[in-house]
Amino acid sequence: MSYIEVRNLTKTFTVRKKKEKGRFFREKASVRALKDVSFDVEKGELVGYIGPNGAGKSTTVKILSGILTPDGGSVNVGGLVPWRDRKEHVRRVGVVFGQRTQLWWDVPIMDSFTLLKEIYRLRETDWKTRLDELVLRLDLEKLLSVPLRQMSLGQRMRAEVCGSLLHRPELLFLDEPTIGLDAVSKLALRDFLKEENRLNKTTVLLTTHDMEDVAALCSRVMVLGHGSKLFDGDLDELLSRYDTVRIITVRYDGDVSLPPLPEGCEVRREGDTLRVLYDPARVRTAELLALLQDAGAIRELTARMQDTDRLIAKMYQEMEL
Amino acid sequence: MKTGAYRAVFGMRAKMELQYRGAVLGGVVCQVFFGLILVSLYRALYRSRPQALPQETVVSYVWLQQAFFRMLLSSDNDLADKIRTGDIAYDLCRPVDMYWFYYARIMAQKLVGSLLRGVPMLAFALLLPKGWGLMPPASPAALLCAAASLAMGLMCVSAMENITMGITMRTLDPRGIQALLNLLMTLMAGNVLPLTLFPDAWQRVLFLLPWTQMLDAPIRLYTGVRETAAAAGVLGVQILWTAVLMLLGTELWKRNRKKLVLQGG
Repeated sequence: MSYIEVRNLTKTFTVRKKKEKGRFFREKASVRALKDVSFDVEKGELVGYIGPNGAGKSTTVKILSGILTPDGGSVNVGGLVPWRDRKEHVRRVGVVFGQRTQLWWDVPIMDSFTLLKEIYRLRETDWKTRLDELVLRLDLEKLLSVPLRQMSLGQRMRAEVCGSLLHRPELLFLDEPTIGLDAVSKLALRDFLKEENRLNKTTVLLTTHDMEDVAALCSRVMVLGHGSKLFDGDLDELLSRYDTVRIITVRYDGDVSLPPLPEGCEVRREGDTLRVLYDPARVRTAELLALLQDAGAIRELTARMQDTDRLIAKMYQEMEL
Repeated sequence: MKTGAYRAVFGMRAKMELQYRGAVLGGVVCQVFFGLILVSLYRALYRSRPQALPQETVVSYVWLQQAFFRMLLSSDNDLADKIRTGDIAYDLCRPVDMYWFYYARIMAQKLVGSLLRGVPMLAFALLLPKGWGLMPPASPAALLCAAASLAMGLMCVSAMENITMGITMRTLDPRGIQALLNLLMTLMAGNVLPLTLFPDAWQRVLFLLPWTQMLDAPIRLYTGVRETAAAAGVLGVQILWTAVLMLLGTELWKRNRKKLVLQGG
């Protein structure tokens, strides 16, 4: 039996539609946030959960963390049903919502950490050891006596992560944890999460729009769209399906007119720089390079893959999301 | 039920309240000002047409109402904001009972907020000359009964406010319900006009409503309008209302959890 078992999960929200002309009462409409989602997650896995806005990712996380009750389907996390055995379940779960805050705004963060000790009924020694460890690893030493309101976003997110991990959760939900962070903070947070997963065998479910997060942390990825699971598997496999374009950027000495290139190549000119897009399955790279070299003296040439965001956008487009 | 978490959130909210010293000063000045205006008003009223109730009783009523004003009004904006923005999601995934977690928080804010303002104000009101200031309690026993009744009133008003919060979870904006309840509160709890000045028939009905249980009941015991002998009855009605409001509140929060929608992604 897997650690997390989700079977045929459904959840519908009722929203009120704007009234049409001449109607006094609003119409009700239902939005099916989740329709029949099933998956398994093993203990210690790091799974990326992606999909466009409104796909149902957050709804899944809220059900798994015991906040929402689904309309149908079953969920089992380590032998417990999140919404039925809520208190027992949430004791083992940590959540980081990147856009929300759990720490108290006007008091030093240390006080919030002390409150969390009481909320999770942690033993003083366990809590102290864990806090010291997290403070060291997240570099929070100098911030403990600072109120949250005086912190930068990067500092705040580190403090939030510390708060979410104080009770040593075996299951961690991360909902867009790197949103709005600068490159240094992002990298530090990723390293930390990877380490946390390795050291404590924490199972992590990461919801994000940042594909770099997924690439850096997760080997497995699930794609959700319109409330249904569309893909579940290896990230590289997912990318290779849509990764059909290579780009060669080339700059010549002086003006050069290109010879006709093989069919399937697309050329874009930006000033004195040429960008050639092609599918390596259809056009051989060696052939293309030979043609480009014959055209004139090359000053500079780079070849690269399409960036991941474009791939994902293409994937969403093809999946009609 | 283990109470550690609830005591801790109580302590935390109390500590937070202590941070807003400027607001305390502002509150005291504002409430003293209102107190003096109201007292002048009643003095003018009494000069032209003396009432059955002694003037110093009404003046004391005014000062006690002003001193504990903070206790009546719903003013934990942080909590309402949490519900509005969806930050409440974090609290919902804690191993605590939400109703009592927020109850403790509301009570701390009301207790510390009103003590910080009330103690200096009452000290000031005691120093004012007779006919202007707060009169000493009717008797030492009356003071004790009033203190017990005030504690009960605090529990009652906290239960009332937690229902407001529960309703806010459905309406998603606290302003409407808070405005309505604050209006009812100030009027029916005797903050606008001392309830002791209402017609007797009205008073008999008002006595049975929840709002009189909060601040009016302890003030009546303090001033001796209700004798100490009647204290058991007063406390009984207070306890009854507190229990009813708590029951309604816990049921509301339980239902909220079943049909919960969280704002903002």
